[in-house]
Amino acid sequence: MADMICVGTISGAFGVHGEVRIKSFTADPQAIASYTPLFTKDGSHSFDAIQITRSLKNGFAARMSGVGTKEEADALSGTELHVPREVLPSLPDDEYYYTDLMGLEVVDTGGNILGRVHAVHNHGATDLLELTVPSQSKTVLLPFTMAVVPTVDLSVGRIVCDPPEGLFD
Amino acid sequence: MSRSVWKGPFVDAYVLKKAEKARDSGKNEVIKIWSRRSTILPQFVGLTFAVYNGHKHIPVNITEDMIGQKFGEYSPTRTYYGHAADKKAKRK
Repeated sequence: MADMICVGTISGAFGVHGEVRIKSFTADPQAIASYTPLFTKDGSHSFDAIQITRSLKNGFAARMSGVGTKEEADALSGTELHVPREVLPSLPDDEYYYTDLMGLEVVDTGGNILGRVHAVHNHGATDLLELTVPSQSKTVLLPFTMAVVPTVDLSVGRIVCDPPEGLFD
Repeated sequence: MSRSVWKGPFVDAYVLKKAEKARDSGKNEVIKIWSRRSTILPQFVGLTFAVYNGHKHIPVNITEDMIGQKFGEYSPTRTYYGHAADKKAKRK
C-alpha cells in the first residue's frame, strides 16, 4: 500500500438517511468523486461510487456505495479515503504532483547532497520546495523554477538544483 | 482609506538600495529583507527576495503580475501543511 494517496476523510454522518460528510483534500474539492474507487487506509474496504449530494461547511454531503443507514455512516467517522497513485492523470512536462516530489533527494550541480524534499508550498508566487537539510533542524525553502531546479528525475528520485547565493545561509 | 497617489508607492529605502546593488552585480543571489510593508516595484521584476515572516525568510521570485502588491503578501506568517492529494506544482 506504499503508493496510496489520501484524498479525503469521512467526518461523520449527515442526516438520518445514510449520507456521509466528506472532507476533500483534492485541488478541486469535487474531484474526489471522480477518483473512485476509494479505499480505506489499510485497503481492506473500498467504495466504488460516491455521489455528492450537497455542499456543506468544510466539505460535502455524499452518498457512498455500501453505506445505507446512519449507523453505517457513523461507524465510518474518521475513515481516511485513499486512491492508488496510478489513478491520478498524467501531467504535461514541468508539472508534477506534490506527492511525487516529496521525498526526492536534492543535490547541487556538483553532486553534493543538499537535502530531501519534505513538503511543497505555494504562497501565491512560485511553488516552493521545503527541504530538510542533513544535520540541521531547520528547513530550507527552494523556489521551484527552471533556473533554480533545472532537473527533476522522478525515475532516479533525484532533483538537481542550482540554488542562488545565500539561500542555505 | 487608500494611499494618496501623489505620494507614490511606499518602499523602505534599504530595500531599494539592496535591489539596485543586486541588479548591478548581476549575480544570482537572494536579497534578504525584513520589510513586508514595502511595495513591489517594476524594477524588482526578475529578482529573488527572501522575505522574513517572523520566523524565517521565504524566497519570492518577483514577476510582473506582483507589481503593486506588498512583499508580505507572499510570505505567510502561519504554517499550514495540509494534504498533498492531487495538488500539482508547475516549474516556471
